[in-house]
Amino acid sequence: MITRQLSITIPIFIMIFVVQEAAVDQFRLAGGGFSLLLIFTLIWAVLSSQEIAAIGGFTAGLLMDLSPSSSGPIGQWTLLMIAACYAVSYLGSGNESLSGNPLGLTFFATSAVFFTEIAYVVTGALLGVQTGSFGQILITLFGISIWSLVVTPILLPLFSRLHAFVFNTRSAI
Amino acid sequence: MRKGSQGRSRLLLITLIVTALFLITLDLRGVGILEGARQGTQTILSPFQRAGNVVLTPFKNFFSEITHLGRTRNQIEKLRAANNSLKAQLANRKNADGQLGQLKSILDLAGTAGFKVVNARVISQGSSQSFAQTITIDTGSNAGIKKNMTVLSEFGIAGVVKDVYLNTALISLATDPSFRIGIRIAGSQQIGILSGRGNRSASLQLIDNLTSVKVGDILLSRGSVANRPFVPGVPVGYVTAVDNSAGAIAQSAVVHLYTNFSTLGVVAVVVGAPVSNPGDALVPVKPQPTPVPTVTIYITPSPTSTN
Repeated sequence: MITRQLSITIPIFIMIFVVQEAAVDQFRLAGGGFSLLLIFTLIWAVLSSQEIAAIGGFTAGLLMDLSPSSSGPIGQWTLLMIAACYAVSYLGSGNESLSGNPLGLTFFATSAVFFTEIAYVVTGALLGVQTGSFGQILITLFGISIWSLVVTPILLPLFSRLHAFVFNTRSAI
Repeated sequence: MRKGSQGRSRLLLITLIVTALFLITLDLRGVGILEGARQGTQTILSPFQRAGNVVLTPFKNFFSEITHLGRTRNQIEKLRAANNSLKAQLANRKNADGQLGQLKSILDLAGTAGFKVVNARVISQGSSQSFAQTITIDTGSNAGIKKNMTVLSEFGIAGVVKDVYLNTALISLATDPSFRIGIRIAGSQQIGILSGRGNRSASLQLIDNLTSVKVGDILLSRGSVANRPFVPGVPVGYVTAVDNSAGAIAQSAVVHLYTNFSTLGVVAVVVGAPVSNPGDALVPVKPQPTPVPTVTIYITPSPTSTN
């Protein structure tokens, strides 16, 4: 069962990654724009079990590491996304106010994006990744968070239905 | 049952984390296969990026116009005044005209210095999720582009070639936080190091503590051994603020970069440079104020009757 679900999930992650690289990155949006793959993976993790979330985080993180514009060492995003997705799934499991409520899910996913990016900056500093001046980091962090807050409610129904389709669950947000 | 499920979940988590740490270790040790994986990803992505660039260009233009609205009233007034003449040009292949203009300026710049360049179109902007400032161009090793070559815009330095693939190349922009370039000040020939800060203003650190810099000084690239990564004499930016802190070893300054990175459509990669240094030949000419004609009116008083 889990093999079938993963065999559908992984191509979806790859497709989202290609859309991110080929379409979303074409626009130089104010404040750094948003990461479609990051938002998608975190929403996917909230709606999934901890095992699926961790594997999803691993897949998405690996794709983000393989992105040519990624500046950190390969494995940095992988590590962060495993931890972030597992934590998000753990906090969201059994909590209907988060995983069942669109508004709660939006704020939860946005907060998760914000904290994941902070974790990237911190681990990047430890690994010697150049991330720019403090002011620029703040602008990018808040820019990505605000864009995530705007984009998440728009994409949430699609992501939720996709998740319901893959996991054969009846409820979709 | 529940306990077993939790144990399996934790084991999976630990396995994945160990795999990620293993990947980080391999990458930091410089194992070639991981670098190859990133190159392979770019090779796979480049057709999608090209297609995305073609399809999304009208939308990009639309969003670009929206984001530039309302900067200042003065600019809007100027834009309104220029609107009528621009409408005709916009109708006539606006995008191509813009790129042609950029290309002409780049060729003028490269021609003055005698650089041999390969022109390229920007097909993708790098994602900022990793706080890096990059672009992807549609020309790669097939056209003779190699790693660590200087990339020019119409105004000067745009960046440096970070990675090269068969038909594309990844450019690290001068705004990238990891970007460093040796510069010299036009005229005084003082040298320093310029670092990207994530936006169009960069920071300059002079090397010699006996020299000084002042607002308005123009910076040119100092050049590297065998002209890689940087060819000499290319305009980089000009000084906008100077930090005269008392405890500093050498003077530092804030520099405004000449290149407008938000409108980069065409760039040129320097694949060959002459042996001679162009010196200050590429220093941008300061705009000359247009003389305002003065009109002198002579008034002859008419005779009036007095009672």
